[in-house]
Amino acid sequence: MLSGKTAVITGCLQGIGRATLDLFAEKGANVFACCQTSSADFVQHLEELSRKYNVKIIPVYFDLLDEAAIKQGVKEIQQAKMHVDVLVNIAGTNIDALFHMVTMEQLRKTFEINFFSQILFTQYITRLMLKQGKGSVINVSSISALDGNIGQLAYSASKGAIISATKTMAQELGPKGIRVNAIAPGVIQTTMTANLPAEAMHRLLSRSDINRVGLPIEVANLIAYLASDMSNFVTGQVIRIDGGIG
Amino acid sequence: MTNLEKYNSVFITTFEIDGNALGEDLVYQSIPQWDSVGHMALMAGLEETFDIMMDTDDIIDFSGYEKGKEILVKYDVMI
Repeated sequence: MLSGKTAVITGCLQGIGRATLDLFAEKGANVFACCQTSSADFVQHLEELSRKYNVKIIPVYFDLLDEAAIKQGVKEIQQAKMHVDVLVNIAGTNIDALFHMVTMEQLRKTFEINFFSQILFTQYITRLMLKQGKGSVINVSSISALDGNIGQLAYSASKGAIISATKTMAQELGPKGIRVNAIAPGVIQTTMTANLPAEAMHRLLSRSDINRVGLPIEVANLIAYLASDMSNFVTGQVIRIDGGIG
Repeated sequence: MTNLEKYNSVFITTFEIDGNALGEDLVYQSIPQWDSVGHMALMAGLEETFDIMMDTDDIIDFSGYEKGKEILVKYDVMI
């Protein structure tokens, strides 16, 4: 499905990012696995993936709050001299605070990580894609960007900004062969949702037709589809993966 | 190949122009090929040729053939 492709994935350390990394390797893609920090467990995992599926898995470390580090990360990718076919922007942060309680500092930091840095990183990576006139960008947004969610003003607004950017990027980059889509996961079993208060979890799940928490691999499957040539005519879309919420 | 030859080659290849067209009159949108699409192709070509990653501000400031030489100095590329 992804054999011969090279993908850049951010937020690979855990959750949806880790599941996407694993699935892409299984499907034959080489991966630049981006995350903020390393760990012995993570490095070992990358080596195992590489060996098991006979693909290249190259770790790239940078902090999305550090513009110079982002650029250095891109240079490492560029210097590997591999064509980049896919970019998956998964890394993100969440600060839970009600509208009247969210500070400007929290708002700015959330936007810095969830929006500004991702736009910068995408500018760099899509410039690499322009050389080959082909590529797919997948931005991970959230249903809270579409529906709102109590206590998540900063998070949902930043994820909403990514959706708007996705649509504009799709229009600008489409003629150059680059597709840009966003996905909007619902409640997925990750560390980010593990801290959701029981009441909030119940409220969300009660709106779900499938009535359960989603799994990271289920989101990864959708990302793999958008990364593959099976979705060659799909761009500028926001696809919900939420078990039927809303 | 000198840096100037490499620099010229990127322009000639990207825009499919003759070497005689290179000079101070060659600026953004002075020829049909150097539109916004051509501009990004030019930037990609220069980045690949000189193994650099240009800042967005510099991509915007890259207004012409001569101006580009000044900008590349920032990336330790002396033309």
